[in-house]
Order: sequence, then C-alpha cells, then structure tokens
Amino acid sequence: MIWRGILAMILSLWLTGQGVAQEDKSEQIESDISSRNIAILSNFTGQRIVIFGTIENSQHSEFEQALYDVVVAIRGPKDTIVIRKKSRIAGIWINAESHTFANVPGYYAVLSTRPLGEVANRTVLTAYGLGFDSLVLRPLGPNAPAKAADGSLNVFRSAVVRIRQRDGLFSHKPEGVVFVGRNLFRATIDMPANVPVGQYATDVYLLRNGEVLSHNRSQLKIHKEGFERFVYSAAFDYPLLYGIAAVIIAISAGLLASVMTRRD
Amino acid sequence: MFDIYLPIAELSVNLLVILGMGGAVGFLSGMFGVGGGFLMTPLLIFLGIPPAVAVGTEANQIVASSVSGALAQWRRNNVDIKMGTVLLIGGIFGAVIGVQLVKLLREIGQVDLIISLSYVTFLGIIGTLMLIESVRAIRRAKAGGPVSTRRPGQHNWVHGLPLKMRFKRSKLYISAIPPLVLGAFVGLLAAIMGVGGGFIMVPAMIYLLRMPTNVVIGTSLFQIIFVTAAVTILHSVSNQTVDVLLALILMIGGVIGAQFGARAGQHLKGEQLRALLALMVLAVCVRLGFDLVVQPDELFSVGSAIGGH
Repeated sequence: MIWRGILAMILSLWLTGQGVAQEDKSEQIESDISSRNIAILSNFTGQRIVIFGTIENSQHSEFEQALYDVVVAIRGPKDTIVIRKKSRIAGIWINAESHTFANVPGYYAVLSTRPLGEVANRTVLTAYGLGFDSLVLRPLGPNAPAKAADGSLNVFRSAVVRIRQRDGLFSHKPEGVVFVGRNLFRATIDMPANVPVGQYATDVYLLRNGEVLSHNRSQLKIHKEGFERFVYSAAFDYPLLYGIAAVIIAISAGLLASVMTRRD
Repeated sequence: MFDIYLPIAELSVNLLVILGMGGAVGFLSGMFGVGGGFLMTPLLIFLGIPPAVAVGTEANQIVASSVSGALAQWRRNNVDIKMGTVLLIGGIFGAVIGVQLVKLLREIGQVDLIISLSYVTFLGIIGTLMLIESVRAIRRAKAGGPVSTRRPGQHNWVHGLPLKMRFKRSKLYISAIPPLVLGAFVGLLAAIMGVGGGFIMVPAMIYLLRMPTNVVIGTSLFQIIFVTAAVTILHSVSNQTVDVLLALILMIGGVIGAQFGARAGQHLKGEQLRALLALMVLAVCVRLGFDLVVQPDELFSVGSAIGGH
C-alpha cells in the first residue's frame, strides 16, 4: 500500500515539476510523506514513514555528481517537560535537582545525505534548527534567565536528548536520505510505539555548498483512533464517568467469574 | 504479533505477557487466599508501566477479584456488614487523602519513590512476620504438638475507648474508633500502593479488633470492594491513571489463574503455603529495595510537567 502511494506521489511531483520548470530556473525541492495521517489503534507498534521528493531544475548531469544535500527534519508537538536528576540521599536514589524546559518537541528526527557537520556550518544549522545542538531548550521558572546562563544546565539539556534518543523519540540518521535517481531522493524513518499524538511538521531542505536553496514543508498528524481514542478521550474528558464505568466493568467481571465458577 | 497498545499507560505491551502475569498472580491469590495486589503492582512496575498507572489500574482489578471472593463468603454468611461499613467509612476517608497525596507527589516528581518505599516497608515487615510465624508452625507440627490457634485474651486497650457500638455478627461490643482508624489507614495504602490491604486488615481484625476468624475474610473482602472502587474513581478523576484495557486483561488472567490456584492450594499444607508466600513477598521487597539502593544506569528522567507552570 505504501508503495502504491509512493508511486502516485512521484508521478504527481513529476507532473507539478513540468509546470514550474517553465517559469523559474532556480533549484526547488518538492516532497511528500507516505502517510499524512497515522492512527494509533490497539495493534499500534510504531510506524514506518517514507519521505520522498525531487529536485526541480537540478543541475545534476549525472547520478554520481552529488551537488546537493538534502536534510529532512520531522518535529512532533511541543510540550513543557521536567527533567529530574537522582542523587543519593540517606543511601537511596531520590529525584533531587530538576529543571523545566518549555517547547521541547515530543518527537524530533533529522535525516541527511551526509553528517550534518559536512552539510553546512553551525550558523546555518542553528538558523534552521537542524541537529540536536540546534534544539533550543529554554528553562522555565522564577530565576530562568539566571539559570540559562549557568553552564550546569547543559548537563540537563544533553540528558533530555540522551533519554529521548534512548526512547526512540529523538533520532539522527546522518546517511538517512538517499538519492535513488539523479534528482529523486528517499528517506525512511521508523517511529516507535510511544510517539506522542498531535500535529507533526516534516521539513525538507535542499542545500548546496552549505547554503539552503529551497525548503518544503508537509504536515503529518498522529492521533488515537477507534477504541484507543474512545478510552483516552473518556479518561481525560469525562474522568468521573470513566471511573464509574471502570468500576462497573470490574464488578460485572467479578460477578461473571463467580457465576461461572459456582457450578462445581 | 500479540502486541497491544495501552491507551492510558501509552505503551505497547505483549498481550500474552500481561495475561500470563494476571494468571500467575491469580493462581497465587487462589492458592493462598490473598488479594495479590501487593504482587501485581510491583510486577507491572517491573514491566515498565508507570508506577502511578500501575497503582490506579491494579485498584480497578482488585474490585473484580474481591467481588467474586466476597460473594462466596456472603453465601456462607461470613460477612459482618455493620463492621464492614464502619471500616469502609474510614477507608473512603483514607482513599481521598491518599489519592490527593499521589497527585501532589506526581507534581513534585516523587511518586515513584514513595510507592517503592511503601512497598519495601510493608512487604519487608509482613514478609518477615509471616516467615517467622510459619516456620514456628512448621516446627510445632514436626514436634507433634497441637497446632494451637490461640484465642487472645478478652480485654485490651481497644475496649477502653468511647463511641461503643454493638457488632452482632462479630459478637463484639467495641468502640467505633479503632475500625475507623484501621479502615482509613488501609484506604490510604490502597490509594498509594494499589492494594486491597487484606494483608494488614486481616491480622488487625484478628489481633486488634478480636473478631471471630470466620467473619474476618468475608468482612475484609466486603470493604475492599468499596474502598478499591472509590480509589479507582478518585484516581480516574484526579490523576487519570486507570487503564481499563490493562485492568480488563489482568481481570481475565486473574480469574482463570485463581481457579487453578484454589485447586492446587488444597493439596498443600497451610503453614508451608504461608512460608512460601512469605518468601515470595520478601523477594519482591528485596528487588524493589535493590532498585532504590543501587546507582541507576541513568540518573536523569524526563516527565511532562503536570499542573505546575
């Protein structure tokens, strides 16, 4: 099913490309994702996403020339998070120091044709928010500006990245974008089962000699569907009814069990 | 293949693993005649379910298992409704406080610690007492002496308190204060630990309230239904930590396991069973304690900011 979608995508990209080619001679990037809508159902164990695109008005004359770099960034919904550090207090490990960061993406994946350091310099990467070093983790709280200047925060910042990477929520694939034709590229990413729900943005950047020539964005929505959605929204929108229903289910299950087991 | 996504815990688990865990704990509770919450909640935590969700969900499962247990006792007229009601008035009071405590602890990031510490403390105490008692009983049985079920003396400090009530089924005329306090304490534990609290309630009823042993189990189960039901609803409202899908799978596994457990239990001697259970309780206690004391691989943890902005 994915492949049929991709074929249709390539075709549509090629067709739109034909029209644009007449007016503008500068390089443009066109891209799309294999699924714009991901539903979390009870059998959800993660989702593979394929990002496909072409370079319009490419000056590539042959496949091996490699004039261009492509960087794909997928950013999930932003959230305020708390990161805590355990310290040994009276012999046991207890959450002690903590910091709150605002606007941290719940999911962040960067894929590129080459390691980011080779694609562009620090300034460009920071300007477009590419790579873990470009993530802005702003501390919240009463003395936030003072804390922001403090170098010790960096330990917490890198811990956020490390933990999210461990959980599969942050990832960086330095060779994750592959040219499959002269101007046709493809990037594949596996999203884990614990991806947060919400609106995602997929940004595709075309670079040459370390400069961004073109940028293209598509939206991606991850949402709970069916039974999962029903349970989740009931729990958060109607918590009292949800609790009562949970008790009724449990009482019925107990009654049913005692009826079934009474025979002997 | 059998992976299932839990809507509230927000993670994908293997259905067979959860069913198997429900079955295994159900088997043990059928065999030993205990609720099993004190084993199931730590197991869920070991599996990676967030501790607060494990507690809320397990309270929901205990409602189901205690309904079938209480019904069986009810048919044998082994429930003291009046005593049960007094206990559960206290219990609901304790549950309300416990759920608010969990909410507060979640906000300051200490809920996992307090849940673990409560388990280490209570499992340690109960496991040790049970082990000592059952080893003594085994020795007595080996020595050929009578296994005495000593009825304690008729009066203790409990009888000096005011607010006396008559409990006909238990043949008691005692103050309502001790059962209220006991109920509140167990309700608090139910809310924080996701247990029915039978392991505290039963000995306290026998040794503190001096209820006749035949009504103890039934009355304890009777009030557990209502207290864990209250805990389920309160956690749903305050913390949204009850995963009905997880609870349902545990209920199914638990019911099946309990049937086999009850049959297996009939072929084993009481004191040996208690020694076995004590060892299991201590094993869970040691494992939880170990995790608290040993330096974790990752000192940092990320959580979403709840409430506090």
